[in-house]
Amino acid sequence: MSGLSILDNFFYPQSIAVIGASSNLQKVGHVVLKNILFGGTSTSDKKEGFKGKVFPVNLREKEILGLKTYKSVKEISDRIDVAVIVVPAKDVLKVTEECGQKGIGSVVIISAGFAESGKAGSSFQTELLSIAKQYGIRIIGPNCLGIISSSENLNLTFARVKPPAGPIAFISQSGALGTAVIEYALEEYFGMSYFVSIGNKSDIDDSDLLEYFAEDSGTKCISLYLESVRDGRRFFNSMKSAAKKKPIVVLKAGITSAGAKAIASHTGSLAGADVAYDAAIRQSGALRARTMYELFDASRALAYQPPVKDGHGIAIVTNAGGPGVIAADDAYKHGLPLATLTEQTIKLITSVCPPTWSRQNPIDIIGDATPQRYRRVLNIVASAPEVGGIIIICSRQALTQIREIVDDMIILSKSIKKPVTVSLVGIVAQEEDRILDKNGIPVTEVPERAVEAMNALFLRGRYLDRLNKSGY
Amino acid sequence: MDIESFSKIIANAKAESREWLDLIESRNILEKLGIPLNKSGVAKTLEQALSVASEIGYPVAMKIISPDIIHKTEVGGVAVNIRNNGEMKEYFNMMMEKIKHNLPTAKIIGVLIEEMISGPELIIGTTTDQLFGHMLMFGIGGVLVELYKDVAFRLIPITKIDAMEMMDELRAKAILDGFRGSPRVDKEKLAGIMINISDAVVKLPEIVSLEVNPLVVTERGFMGLDARVIIRR
Repeated sequence: MSGLSILDNFFYPQSIAVIGASSNLQKVGHVVLKNILFGGTSTSDKKEGFKGKVFPVNLREKEILGLKTYKSVKEISDRIDVAVIVVPAKDVLKVTEECGQKGIGSVVIISAGFAESGKAGSSFQTELLSIAKQYGIRIIGPNCLGIISSSENLNLTFARVKPPAGPIAFISQSGALGTAVIEYALEEYFGMSYFVSIGNKSDIDDSDLLEYFAEDSGTKCISLYLESVRDGRRFFNSMKSAAKKKPIVVLKAGITSAGAKAIASHTGSLAGADVAYDAAIRQSGALRARTMYELFDASRALAYQPPVKDGHGIAIVTNAGGPGVIAADDAYKHGLPLATLTEQTIKLITSVCPPTWSRQNPIDIIGDATPQRYRRVLNIVASAPEVGGIIIICSRQALTQIREIVDDMIILSKSIKKPVTVSLVGIVAQEEDRILDKNGIPVTEVPERAVEAMNALFLRGRYLDRLNKSGY
Repeated sequence: MDIESFSKIIANAKAESREWLDLIESRNILEKLGIPLNKSGVAKTLEQALSVASEIGYPVAMKIISPDIIHKTEVGGVAVNIRNNGEMKEYFNMMMEKIKHNLPTAKIIGVLIEEMISGPELIIGTTTDQLFGHMLMFGIGGVLVELYKDVAFRLIPITKIDAMEMMDELRAKAILDGFRGSPRVDKEKLAGIMINISDAVVKLPEIVSLEVNPLVVTERGFMGLDARVIIRR
């Protein structure tokens, strides 16, 4: 909460009206109401829901989920902070106007059938905006999944579940991708401070949200899924100023409408498709993710781990040769430098390892590595001045005491200022994964993803160094 | 950078309802941007061409000067590596014939005789994106630029940090540090040229695209051989 923005009204309401609430379990209007009251449809624990007042609005029903139902927001005598609209598109204009008459300033429109669906929809949206302007209403949507504000236990969406609370603010232009992210978030412990599905972004858009989340103390990383923006320069400037305060990860899909170009030049011909978006993201200081995995891994790493300082190289500590080499190759591919170990570091590691250890980075401490050997080597590497971050790889062999090694990783990570990412090779969604996740250590099955996560921290570190030196 | 005379050149082209600048105007603009040019001279007749060439010293290149021709190579308006008076005579007549055949109505001002320069070739260009506006491109230049696609982009205006990072983003960045005995690039100076181009586009927004290609790296420093400037009428 920034205390200054119009967006505070959306994320910190005291009272909500659900226009189009329904008792029919199959209707979005039912799911939204239930999610507001109980947090997620897959949970029934009342404590997880929104604490403020909730008013269902429906023309025909008298009571839904035990709450008195109103025919119009105008019948409600309490002040309403947010209205969520889930009625068919043809009725949206009328109920929005009623919101205006009732003095509601913040409206989330889930209903589809606007600019995304042809000419008639577009003119609906234009009319909607003129009503909003007349009454001073701000709109999220239409054609969206809704919003989540974790600190308020507010799940104003029709997703199946609520993501765990955490430091990542997630903005999605796609509702369907949004639900997928929420579902993954549970498994992968992708903790969110806010979730916003911006839909057609008829009014409030990505730039508004970037500016808001940049000032939010509960947000440590801003992640976006984007297909297009309306105003390229405004988007660039919002990213640029937000990146100074928070790391930003952007997954941009689709290609820009290349449009009319100076085709007589080489520059024009090479500036096709995606180049302008890519340049804008790069130049602003944000990080561009190429896959959904990278969006997840980079966001989690940036939200929970410190950046790599001063362009130092990375150390890979592993009990398995193959995965160590894969990680080293992948680091090379990303341009992520590996640390060259000093004589002193090699001497120290030799004193706690069997003579067959790799004697270089990747630091292969051999398949029979005990928790004690991991602990000793990790402590040496963590104090080595040439090392800026540590990728820990552990493959489980018959004798590997994985749980103890994982507990040590957590203790180490909490005591040092260098970032740690982990790959438990071959171990999928087990207890050890969850413990690392919950302690803010990005953990993945394959080493490549641990490298991607570390690379995000390296790039963020490099950006911050540049910012400190030049203010740019 | 001399924006005023830059702006005059553009105004002149606009007055003639042109969307691009001719070879002489473009080379003029390279100079204003702080880019040294190779030796050159204008010739209207074969006799003048022979005398300019001997003054510069063979081998030379010859390019057509015409406000009606933007793609010189395609209409036979470029000849390179002309080694002596005999070849000059041959190429001059051939060029005039070809252009007469390809573009009978084109207004011909003359030809530009230029010193032949060789070395690693770079490109600096700007374009206008519908959504993000003016952008700057830097990369490996020459006629094969679209084949190699070894270029980096930034939104304009750029800073020196951007310029330096763009140099570092090229796959063939080793060429800037003197690859296999080729001359080393003065990166500070190169960044300065990139920033000048970026600034020129900011100050003269009617420039739709300004492209220097090739910018040749020589022992004597950079040399701009050709530029293409497209303006909004």
